Amino acid sequence: MAEALLKVAGVSAGYEQQMVLRDVSFEVPEGSLIALLGPNGHGKSTLLRCLSGLLRPTKGTVELAGKRIDNLPADRIVGHGLVHIPQGDMLFPGMSVYDNLLMGVYLPSARVRFEERLKDIYQLLPRLKERTTQLARTLSGGERRMLALGRGLLTGGRLLMLDEPSLGLAPIVIDQIYEVIADLKRQGRTILLVEENASRIIDMADRIHLLDTGTIVWQGDGRELAAQPQILETYLGG
Amino acid sequence: MDYLIQIIVSGLTLGSMYALSAVGLSLVWGSFNCLNMAHGSVMALGAYFTLIAVDSIGFPVWVSLPFAMVGGALVGTAVYYLSVHWMLNTRNYETNIIIATFGIGMVMENGLLKIFGGYPYAQPLTVQGVAGLIGNVPVNYRSIVIWVVAAVLMVALGLLLTRTRAGRAIRAVAQNRDGAKLMGVPVARVYVQVLMLASLLAAVSGILISTTLQIVPYMGANPLLKAFIVICLAGLGNILGALYAALLVGLVEASASTLWAPQYGFPVILVVVILALIWRPEGLFGRVMVARQ
Amino acid sequence: MMRRDYILSAVLLVIAVGLPWLDPPRYLLAQGLLLFCWATVVSQWNLVFGIAGIFSLAQIAIFAVGAYSTAMMGRYLEMNLWYAFPIAGVIGVIFSLLIGLGCLRMRGVYVALLTIAVGQVLFVLIMGDGECSPLNPGICMSFTGGPSGMGGFGGFGWREVLGGRHFIIGDYYSMLGLLILAMAFTFWIIHSRMGLAFKALRDNPELASSRGISRFKYQLLVFALSAFFTAEAGAFFAAHFGSVGPGQLSFTLLLFLISMLIVGGMGRPWGPLLGAFLIMGGDEFLKEAGEWRHIGFGVMLLVFMIFLPDGVAGLIDRVWRRLTTRGGAARAGKAAPAE
Repeated sequence: MAEALLKVAGVSAGYEQQMVLRDVSFEVPEGSLIALLGPNGHGKSTLLRCLSGLLRPTKGTVELAGKRIDNLPADRIVGHGLVHIPQGDMLFPGMSVYDNLLMGVYLPSARVRFEERLKDIYQLLPRLKERTTQLARTLSGGERRMLALGRGLLTGGRLLMLDEPSLGLAPIVIDQIYEVIADLKRQGRTILLVEENASRIIDMADRIHLLDTGTIVWQGDGRELAAQPQILETYLGG
Repeated sequence: MDYLIQIIVSGLTLGSMYALSAVGLSLVWGSFNCLNMAHGSVMALGAYFTLIAVDSIGFPVWVSLPFAMVGGALVGTAVYYLSVHWMLNTRNYETNIIIATFGIGMVMENGLLKIFGGYPYAQPLTVQGVAGLIGNVPVNYRSIVIWVVAAVLMVALGLLLTRTRAGRAIRAVAQNRDGAKLMGVPVARVYVQVLMLASLLAAVSGILISTTLQIVPYMGANPLLKAFIVICLAGLGNILGALYAALLVGLVEASASTLWAPQYGFPVILVVVILALIWRPEGLFGRVMVARQ
Repeated sequence: MMRRDYILSAVLLVIAVGLPWLDPPRYLLAQGLLLFCWATVVSQWNLVFGIAGIFSLAQIAIFAVGAYSTAMMGRYLEMNLWYAFPIAGVIGVIFSLLIGLGCLRMRGVYVALLTIAVGQVLFVLIMGDGECSPLNPGICMSFTGGPSGMGGFGGFGWREVLGGRHFIIGDYYSMLGLLILAMAFTFWIIHSRMGLAFKALRDNPELASSRGISRFKYQLLVFALSAFFTAEAGAFFAAHFGSVGPGQLSFTLLLFLISMLIVGGMGRPWGPLLGAFLIMGGDEFLKEAGEWRHIGFGVMLLVFMIFLPDGVAGLIDRVWRRLTTRGGAARAGKAAPAE
């Protein structure tokens, strides 16, 4: 396997007195798609927030391409190439689709070959091109997700972290989103994907980590997971 | 008919002045939930800055305007590092910051009183004379200058917020703080910029107000409250709404003082605004521009 | 009330009641009386802001309404002020009910902005009131007295009972009585259903509202009831000084009172008393300082908000808790080897 792009070692975190994550360690090799599975409310989103700097871990280290990032603020971590496409999309609702995309290239480092990359994004997510002047808050759920994806991709990161990209979407839109993710994987992007539902990623992920009450309780690839019906049953509702 | 013209002329003049201060106040609230009680003292400081520039330093009169704008921006920076910087994300931040900035405002106001004394000064940066009559109502050059300055600054602010990278970052932070961080926006730096911008506008607003009244240390108190009422009416954090609401409040106040008596202007506004807020608790224009999720 | 509260009340009461018997200088009595007055206002503000969570800045307006209505009843209706006092209190309650009905359904910051505007509106109205009123025969004086205020409405009446030398003792005890009632009211509210409701609303808003606790109803109730004592403090203030003026609506007084609230410690029953004592005591040293005095208050507010947002009472609470827990641990440690 290739060199690890992201190394997470012994990360713990929590809000107030309640610890949400306890001693989480895993790696994301360059060019792979790693999935974090687990039931709702068991720390998946918190983990991503820790990695992108929105939340400071109380213990442990996070390394991106050999550089420690766990002590950096969120706005600096982006510059190191980590893209977080969060739950709820975190769009700028009062700004147009185009302005949202422009925010993706806020950092000077992200602005190189902007026109060209924007064209790529429009090709990948053609819906955005039709909606450039529309305000983000008027978009449908699926369009929002795509805008979040496009905006995140424009930041030019090396590691893409997606937090439940299928959440709250109609099945047909979920299919579209996962097609985009498959495209990105084919392009060789490194992806860390959080999901509640195993069925979408079981064939796609190079490695799957199961997060339960804040710790990783199982890991393996899709085939191994498929061979563990009791895990599928308990954690992922079949 | 003349009454109507009179109301529109003085209403627009009042509205223009309120708009400059209210928009800044609203911008600051929208960005980091700070009701800046020092805003009024920054208005007063702006007026004194022109006085310092012209009387103490001896700058030509026209230089005093940019001088005061820069001064205002610097004061805004100081306010940030004295209060917001230490208090962001602490418990009861929203109320505590009001009290803290009230403290800063009192320091500034009484500092001015200490340095300049309580007697009124005339604003050196002003124009005299009547430009002409509309109907039988005289229109001063001063009013025209106030309209033009306010309009130019509002348009400039609009362009800044919608057309520039820094402006987009300001709006992004107001609309989704974490989302902006994930795009690499250094949020704290944006906060400082916002407070600089708001204070710069407040300084200009103070100068305009002092051309119609006089320069005294507590001159910001009344306009500050009007600006508060304006942003309540518009919906806190709604910048474009604050502009409209300012003009509306100016017109209502002008109507009340023209048709009734000057001292009833403020009470009438307050009653109208409270009624409007009972009708629409999120403000007349809601949170159009900086809706938070 | 905890035992600590009872002991503290008893000690303070003995000091306050006993002070006039030590034949202190008149100035001290006058300052003590003022301390009681401000402590009353701030204790009710603390109920509204610290306990009920309403960021109201209308307190000085309610205070002024109490003072002005007393003055007007005394002057225009020639009423004995002791009859005017309860009416002034009720007027304060009605006034604050109106404000509450208008503002309390709105979000916290709107309340702050609108209530501060209410005070300012009264100020503007009084300052601009220049029309001669037929109620003041012989002189041209407006209904409210305008910028120069009004007098000539009598006082507590102790001068007639105790004489010119000792009347201040009567004023002193009157104000002390008011403070005692206000403090008793504070403790009653905190330990009543209402106090518990507010605690529930603070600790777990969702659970509280699912149990049918209406924030608006309780907030309005506390806001209105506490206005009685606030207005009464204004009434007593007017009766003591024999005059009222628009200065009671100034930002300076607001600064002074809010400093007491913050320095003392918000949300704690003894905070206002402590704050009033500290600020008035500190003010004695700054009397000569002119503008520096207000600059000092401003700086102090800022410093407290940043470093000690729960005030001196909060600090004392924390130190006390640390001392008692450490003391407890040490005692337990000592007891262990003996066994």
